[in-house]
Parts: sequence; C-alpha cells; structure tokens
Amino acid sequence: MIKLSNLRLGFDTGFSLAVDALNIREGEVFAIIGPNGAGKTTLLNAMALLREPASGTLEIMGRDALAPANKMFLRRAMAVVFSQPYLTSDTVHYNVALPLKLRGENDPAAVGEALELFKITHLKDRNAKTLSQGESHRAALARAFVTRPKMVLLDEPFASLDERVKDSIIRDLRKVIKATGAAVVLVTQDQGGALTLCDKLAVLVNGRILQQGEPQDIFSRPVSAEVADFVGVETILPGKVVSQQDNLCAVEAGGLTLQAVADCAPGDDVFVCIRPEAVSVSLGADAGGRRNNFKAKVVAVAPWGLEYKVELDCGFTLQAAVTKQLVDGLGLKPEARVYSSFKATALHLIKRAI
Amino acid sequence: MGFIAEGLHKALHLIFSGNAEIFAIARLSLAVSVLATAAAVLAGVPLGSWIAVKKFPLKKFLIALVNTGMGLPPVVAGLVVMLFLARSGPLGFLNWLYTPKGMILVQFIIALPIITALSVSAMQSVDPKFYQQVLTLGASDWQAIKVCLKEIRLTVLAAVIAGFGRLVAEVGAVMIVGGNIRHQTRMLTTATVLETNTGNFDTAIALGLILLMLSFTVNLTLTLIQQKKAPR
Repeated sequence: MIKLSNLRLGFDTGFSLAVDALNIREGEVFAIIGPNGAGKTTLLNAMALLREPASGTLEIMGRDALAPANKMFLRRAMAVVFSQPYLTSDTVHYNVALPLKLRGENDPAAVGEALELFKITHLKDRNAKTLSQGESHRAALARAFVTRPKMVLLDEPFASLDERVKDSIIRDLRKVIKATGAAVVLVTQDQGGALTLCDKLAVLVNGRILQQGEPQDIFSRPVSAEVADFVGVETILPGKVVSQQDNLCAVEAGGLTLQAVADCAPGDDVFVCIRPEAVSVSLGADAGGRRNNFKAKVVAVAPWGLEYKVELDCGFTLQAAVTKQLVDGLGLKPEARVYSSFKATALHLIKRAI
Repeated sequence: MGFIAEGLHKALHLIFSGNAEIFAIARLSLAVSVLATAAAVLAGVPLGSWIAVKKFPLKKFLIALVNTGMGLPPVVAGLVVMLFLARSGPLGFLNWLYTPKGMILVQFIIALPIITALSVSAMQSVDPKFYQQVLTLGASDWQAIKVCLKEIRLTVLAAVIAGFGRLVAEVGAVMIVGGNIRHQTRMLTTATVLETNTGNFDTAIALGLILLMLSFTVNLTLTLIQQKKAPR
C-alpha cells in the first residue's frame, strides 16, 4: 500500500530524515514510535504528500506518489488526522461532510454512518468550536473515515487527551479500522496507544528507523541500546559473554555473572537488557527455577502507573515492576533486603559495536 | 461663522429637496467606488491568499512590494492611468479617459494593493497546519484557500471596509482620470473641491454631508454583517 525507499529529507536546522525502506501493507496498522524531534511527523507529512522529499521513492497504491499528476488522486484516497482536530467553525455535520463536498459528492448516508461510528450523531448540529477535546477528536476521526479511505495517517491523534477519553476513542477507532480494512499509519510517542492498535511497529530515532517488525519482537528484543531505552527497557548494562553452551550464555555484567538465552559467542561485547516486568522480588532465596537470582537491597519504591517500580541494588541497579499487594506484603521500602530473580529467557542481549 | 450655519442650512435644503444633480453625483460616486472595491476584492483576496500560502522565490520581496502599494499616492496612480488611457497611450483604444470606466480602473489600482496586502496578512494568520489539514481532506489549493477564507471572513471583511473607505474619499486620481465633467464624471469628492474653489460653500457642505452619509451607510452595512458573524 505504502512503499518507500531511500527517502531523504533535510531541514535548514541540520536535521535530516533518512529512511532506507518502509513497507506498509493493505489493512495493516503500522505504528511509528520515537521520541520528540525524531522526525515522525516529517515522515508522516511525506507520506501525506505535504512535504516533498529531497530524494528517494515513494509509492502509494502502486503509483509514484512523487509525480505531481498522481498527487490529487492519492490525497483523495487517504485521510490524515493530526494531534489537533482542525475543525472549521461550522456544525459538526458540515465538518464531517466537508471531504465529500470537496470531491463534489453528496452522500448523507456516509456522513450519518461516520457520525454513528464515532458516536457523535447527537452532536451533528452543534458548532464544532463548542465541542470538548474528546468530541472534537471524534469529529476529526469521523471526518477522516467519511470517504472510506484506503489509508489513514494518524499524527499523535491522542496527544492532548486524558487517559479515559483516549481509551474510549482508541476502542472505537480499533473497531472502525477493523471494519473498514484501511491501512493505518500511526505516528506517536505513546507506546501504549501504539501497542493497542498496531500490527507492525517501527522505532524512529534521530531521523533513522532503528528497528521495525512485530511489536512483541521490538519490545522483547530491541536491536540497539537506543531502541531499548525508548521502548522502556529500564535496565541496560554493558557486559561481556564469557561462555556459551546450547544457546545459554554466561555474561559478566555489573560485577555479576548473568545467564541469558541468546545467540552469542564468548568474547562478544553486549548490552544486557532487562525489562522491569521480568524481574521478581521475594524475601526468600527460592528463585522458582529462575536461573538468575541475586541478593539485593531496595533503594527506592515509587508508584508506576497501576504498579510500583522498585529500584534494587544487586551489584548493579535493577528496576522491578511489582504490584501494590507485593509492596505491602513484603514490606518493600528503602534498605530492605530481598532477592531479585529473572529467567534466562527474559534477558535480551544486544551485540555492541566497539 | 454665519456662513457656515447658512451653508449648512442650504445644504440640508438641497439634500431634502431631492436635488437631481446632487443625487446623480452621489449615485455615480457610490457606483464607481463599489464597483472598484468589488473588482479589487475579486482580484486581491485570491491573489493575497495565494501569496500567503504558496512558497516561491522572492515571496518576501513581493509582499514588501504589495505593502508599499498600500501607500500609493492616488495622484501618481491617476497620472499613470491617464497617460495609459490618453488617446496616444497604450490603452488609448479603449476610450476610457474621462469616463466612469477610467475612474473605476484607477480606483481599482489604488484598492488592489490594500486588499491584497490585508488578505496576505489575514491568510498568514491561519495556522499553516489548518491549511494542510484541508488539503489532506482532498481539497485543491483553491478549495483549501476558500475554506480558510471562510474561517477568516471577518478579517477579510475588514479589508473590504478599508478598501472602500479609501476609495470613496479619494479625489486626486478620479479628478485626473475622470476630468470632473458635469453630468458625466463628477463625483462627490471632485464636486466638493470644485464648489469650494468657486465659493459655493452651501453646495460643497451638502456634497460633503452626502459623502459622509454614504460612507457611513456602506460602512455600517459592512460592519453589521461583520459583527453579526463575530463571536460574542
């Protein structure tokens, strides 16, 4: 559906976007995540034909998207939703019908359906400028889907919404995406939102795509320390593989020897990545079969979403995510002595380029 | 001081007695200024909007040029237009010199940079992302400009008011191009100058009052339309 290769786009500021290859298939929800200033919006604008790249090829629906003759056709085959809804100061109905009007079409049924899909039929006669943020976003999404686009590009669509509104919009959006079968490109910093919706994921940092693939792979096996850092791997240690047998590696890191299942050779310099969810905390030495089990001292305990994050010192700083019940049950507080353990499969090793 | 009161008294008499010549002059003034403003709006608003949204070399230079045009001295515009419309001039074949058409042309030239410059500035006040959003809805450039203009219609109307205000009060250019010919090209402003020079203060005051009333009525109408659409 969208295929781009060797795309280069520069700015006066010196920042440049360089994407070697990206392939988004029909019906796929493809999320591009990355920190602020990574070039996510620039990449989306290039796909939306709002910014012309300096070089490279961009093919959309089998057509050369950079050829001026194809621009209007392709623009009318897609829809874009920005972080701000950008509604006109007319009624919600007028706003949702606007893309059809611009195409010289009049399809009240399609407008009614779009309003219904995003649950804003009751607001259709309201001036769009009087809507709440959540309602405005719903109107912008209804406007995007009213033409039954083949592709929908979403640029931080939930950035300004509170969690409750965001969750409800994401739920409805997921249903609509499934129902319409549109290819969706979602550009966001919000990893939670991206994971809820996407089939494929790419991590963009400093204008370069560092990794793309199945979300599970990226989150569990980041290819670089930068990706690991962005996708929330809290513990990243430099280490060295000292032995290897049947895919089980012994890695010296942070003064300890860790066991990891990985395809590495002795002598390899690696980064050891440990996600906080993979770390268990207990008072007893029984690791329950986990190969990595170390004595640790609690350094800090702090709320972390619905859970708590416990910072442990076991020779190196290790982050663990635990439930409130466990914090209370084990009496976890600074200076408490505990055991931390994690499976060899929970460790991810990234080979370091020295 | 007596002659002012007397002039005012006579002026009111002239107005309310329905003096045919004065009303013909008022009608011509209104027609010339309204048509010139309308033409300048039709050309200047799209032109200004285009300049504002498009990227092209020398854009800033062009905007500076248009802004300079806002201060174009009417007599200079009048002189240039007269030279062009003169029998031996490049547009002499039109036979527009000393006709209302010539006066509309020169007033159009005076109003065009005002309305263009104000439209550039109004359109630049629109968030560029809003314009991009409209493009992504499937709009052509002109359709996107139209949608944006609807959003800033109050500011555009202010440009129209400014343009009309400048034209209805203008005297130098229409004097040169129109020639202030009785029953043909005499406008309220040129007639006021003439009557003042010949000492007919009562007629001059009457003409001045009508000009003020005309200007006020048109501006009031535009302002009422503008304010009706303004957010409370």
